[in-house]
Amino acid sequence: MSFAKKNGGKAFDVLQNLPRITLANLRPEPGAKKAEKRRGRGQHGGNRSGRGHKGERQRGNRPRLGFEGGQTPFYLVIPKYGFNEGHSRRPQYQPLTLKRLQYLIDLGRVDPTQPIDLTQLVNARGVTIQPLKRDYGVQLVDEGSDIFGAKINIEVQRASEGAIAAVERNGGVITTSFYDPISLGILIKPVPFFMRGQPIPRRMLPGEDMVPYYTSAENRGYLADPEEIQQARRALAQKYSYVLPDISKDELFHMLAMRKDVRQIFFGLSPGWVVNMPEKKILKHTDEKLLEYYSS
Amino acid sequence: MAASMLMQRTAALCGTLKGISASKAVRPVNSHYGFMLQTACYNPRPLRLDLRGPYIPDKDSNKTPEWQKTARYDRKLFGRFGSASHIDPASLWPSHEELEKIIAEEKQWHPPLEVMLKNIETKEKEETEKRLAKEKLIAANMAKMPKMIEDWRREKRETKRKLQEEKAQKAKLLAEARERFGYSMDPRSPKFLEMVAEIEKEEKKKKKLLKRRVKEEQVAAPPATQS
Repeated sequence: MSFAKKNGGKAFDVLQNLPRITLANLRPEPGAKKAEKRRGRGQHGGNRSGRGHKGERQRGNRPRLGFEGGQTPFYLVIPKYGFNEGHSRRPQYQPLTLKRLQYLIDLGRVDPTQPIDLTQLVNARGVTIQPLKRDYGVQLVDEGSDIFGAKINIEVQRASEGAIAAVERNGGVITTSFYDPISLGILIKPVPFFMRGQPIPRRMLPGEDMVPYYTSAENRGYLADPEEIQQARRALAQKYSYVLPDISKDELFHMLAMRKDVRQIFFGLSPGWVVNMPEKKILKHTDEKLLEYYSS
Repeated sequence: MAASMLMQRTAALCGTLKGISASKAVRPVNSHYGFMLQTACYNPRPLRLDLRGPYIPDKDSNKTPEWQKTARYDRKLFGRFGSASHIDPASLWPSHEELEKIIAEEKQWHPPLEVMLKNIETKEKEETEKRLAKEKLIAANMAKMPKMIEDWRREKRETKRKLQEEKAQKAKLLAEARERFGYSMDPRSPKFLEMVAEIEKEEKKKKKLLKRRVKEEQVAAPPATQS
């Protein structure tokens, strides 16, 4: 007689005879649980176990945060009103005064013979931009507009009317332009971005709420019509009663006329190029689809 | 590279210190040297990375972390080492499929400037229309205002007058009742109400008579007026 050989043997038997696995007979893995610390045992019995003397502190039944013992708490006394609604999502613009700009130029930290954009300002440690804290760039403030005397081509994100007037009175050019948070991060820290080996992205257009600001010539927006900007320059000169210097006859005309493209992040670098820092090379793509995408 | 430099330096330090310890072995070692010796004898765990050249992770190895096998890391390597990283520069740009995805996403989330301008214009138009409609309504209602105020005043005046008349009538009736019965009466008493009904009846009769007389006069009068 030959018996058919059973598979599994003993383990199979055990599995057959054991009760079904349920929540009732499951237990944690050995070592998965840490024994609870038992306070006030042994020689420490009768003491307060490090919880102080009497009261809510000792018993651990402290009232909720903001509770003032039954008195109407402060956070309910002050009525709510929407002044600060959405404050955590509002764009921030770090202020840059004309006084500070003049200081930076006087110390040689910013070179006025080159167009000044956010990269120059950040490199000069003139402003600190934190895109992760909803910073969208800098705003040029007119403090010190009476002492400002440099001829510059500056690009900021917001500018007050007085600041625009002060820059243009000295024969300078000012543009306000929008950078989306990703482009802004690249603009303020170009080298770490180049070390990432990625192509320079296209700058995104502003959102619908910001388009009116950047299309208006009064704000010298980068989306505004250049002719309208000329008109606005003349109007502002009349308003602030100064003679508008003729830029076209200036020896720095080439520098002053430099403007970025709507989709451009850096002066002289187009979107889609890769800048390689260790080899000091610029790589350009030739693929047609890429060309079409990056040039649009 | 920095780590390798560090290693070399520690090794050199070890060598020198070993020399010192050998020379001073005969003499009793004071505490200062004891400390130095302890440092000298420290044998650091060797760093199992070759940091002399660029670090290019082995893609096939199981030991390489996953994040070092990504395209993003490849780009980073190229950015750090250039062509020494042996990475195809063409892979730095998105492939056609990725590009299509990017374009689709941009199309979905970033409308072109013309569309945005049009949207803004329509929104502005709507707002001005709404505002103008409201202003028109307010102007029309304000034009009606003086007349409404006048009406309201008149109504008020009239009610006041009516109230006064009623009061006077009541006082008159009460006075009459007192005359008739000889004492002041409660206006709710049945006697008084009866009297009021009587008076009203009489007044009605009087009115009827007056009406009739006027009619008669009118019938009699016309020929006289005609002649």
